[in-house]
Amino acid sequence: MDRPEKQYGERQEVKILILGAGAVGGYWGSRLHQAGIDVTFLLREKRAETVRKNGLVVKSPKTGDAVLPVKVVTKASDGGPYEVIVLACKGYDLSSAIDAIAPAVGANTTIVPILNGHMHFAILDGRFGKARVAGGLARIGGMLGPNGEILHSGASGVSFGERDGSPARPALVELDQACKKAGIVGGLNPNINQDLWDKWIMLGAIAGMCSAMRGTVGDIAESEEGAAIMAEALEECRKVAAAEGYPPSDKVVDAIRTSLTQKGGKSVASILGDIEKGSAVEAKSIVGDMLARARKHGLAAPTLRFAYAHLQTYEARRARGGLK
Amino acid sequence: MKTLILGAGAIGGYIGGRLQQGGADVTFLVRPARREALARNGLVIKSPKGDVTQKVKTVLKGGEGGPYDVVLLTNKAYDMDSAIEAIAPAVGPNTALVPLLNGMNHLDVLDAKFGAGRVAGGVARIGVALSPEGEIRHTSPFAAFSVGERGGKPARPALAEFATAIKKAGLDGGLHDNIVQDLWDKWVFLCTLAALCCLMRGTSGDILAAEEGQAIVLETLEECRKVAAASGYDPSAQGLGFARQSLSQKGSLFAASMLHDLEKGSMVEADHVVGDMIARARKTGVATPNLRLAYAHLQIYLARRARGGIGKPAL
Repeated sequence: MDRPEKQYGERQEVKILILGAGAVGGYWGSRLHQAGIDVTFLLREKRAETVRKNGLVVKSPKTGDAVLPVKVVTKASDGGPYEVIVLACKGYDLSSAIDAIAPAVGANTTIVPILNGHMHFAILDGRFGKARVAGGLARIGGMLGPNGEILHSGASGVSFGERDGSPARPALVELDQACKKAGIVGGLNPNINQDLWDKWIMLGAIAGMCSAMRGTVGDIAESEEGAAIMAEALEECRKVAAAEGYPPSDKVVDAIRTSLTQKGGKSVASILGDIEKGSAVEAKSIVGDMLARARKHGLAAPTLRFAYAHLQTYEARRARGGLK
Repeated sequence: MKTLILGAGAIGGYIGGRLQQGGADVTFLVRPARREALARNGLVIKSPKGDVTQKVKTVLKGGEGGPYDVVLLTNKAYDMDSAIEAIAPAVGPNTALVPLLNGMNHLDVLDAKFGAGRVAGGVARIGVALSPEGEIRHTSPFAAFSVGERGGKPARPALAEFATAIKKAGLDGGLHDNIVQDLWDKWVFLCTLAALCCLMRGTSGDILAAEEGQAIVLETLEECRKVAAASGYDPSAQGLGFARQSLSQKGSLFAASMLHDLEKGSMVEADHVVGDMIARARKTGVATPNLRLAYAHLQIYLARRARGGIGKPAL
């Protein structure tokens, strides 16, 4: 892409499309919008109508409440071209998400997927070519309220970068600058693969155990063996990451272990909320794929095996309409 | 022979109602509200083996209406202290105590309180629940009650008479010459079923839908079998075959009643059914990794229940 020479003090800003306006993509996009960044949301008709009528409603004890008149399209071919497409969907919605963004993906588009685990990369690479797909993750806490409002809580960081470790392409540098302008923690990460694994081992342990044990971190720590079982699950995940070439640092593992075995700890994986609502869960991408990789490397993962069996039992019961 | 039954709940109500139909002299030891309901509506049994509504004798105190030859206990294990207190006045020198509880630990508790000589063994095999209206709803195709002396000695007269009454009532079971083996056989099966239905939060059929479900079921059954064997009561091949078969029915809606208790937010016999199996495994050097996870699940449920977190969003 030919870029005009930029003059000092004047930058051409990155044009960003965000798929969906859920807790993660919606919050991130709202912060970018507030900082004057060119952000557009790609939404389904119904959601688009609500956001056009009421604005994007964000409630955050940390960064304040806001009602934002954000740009909305219902077709990815509208409003482009976009240099960055942020894909913040659930793993089980990936194929419909791909269909939705496909018309917006051009020669110079970078896709930043914010999904859990690693399974989505092979699918996105296969569809759009590896060069277009960056690595990304979000550490944003929150959920959608009953009227589609974004209820933000806890962390608000993002991390993205080149998966092959090469210097970041201009679009990612610009996305980084946009995030900094918006005061978002994190941003460009030269070692995004390690960060993805660091997040996944934490998530594999907390999502696996909060599901299989049906309780919060604090509830789990209350039982005789709960903290030991959580630590075992984390260790199983750590070994998988190491075998995959991304051994987490001791500092990272210690910090995760401390937070996941904390007595009275209130943290809980959002997958437990999904289970208790009877919703679909990211069982395969968070736990099943970790277990599959453990097997590939000949690693014992007895705790993850139970967690995945629990999730598959849940899915079978849900499929037969057996959740009351 | 006079029989006192503690409570007129699902199991006690069913066996008591059937014994009385067979001509036995049965009295129920109940709380005032239950007594009033029984006086008003009678004892109502709804069952594939026939519905019946009968007037029944009730007392509010163990010291009334006796002496009793047999006192039947059908309480939950976690109610043992109050059960003991309730029946104590009814237990005389010649009373046979017949507990129909799951697991084994209650026998030690009753022995310590009343002396091992008074305490017989008993096993109930029945799917039955108490409806909100107080009716006994029998759902399983079977209804079997076995009793016997734990030392393998000949049954004392009261127990032999009680076994005859079981037969006369048209119930399956009766006198068992190795009741402790029968208790273990049932426990091995029940512990596997309850541990996995709760840990996986599904019916036996739901569990089998998971890739590793069948393997996990068989491993868990084997853990329990090893504990029984190490304790001197290796289940028979026939008993194990039955357990394996009934836990391997794809699509089955069969589940442990403990799962229903869990989903209602009720108390569960976690320690008695699963915890005590693990305790005996440790004592005999048997590894039980699957039961360990199941027991953790149950303890975590109880912790969440204790903080009032059941039925509320976890997030």
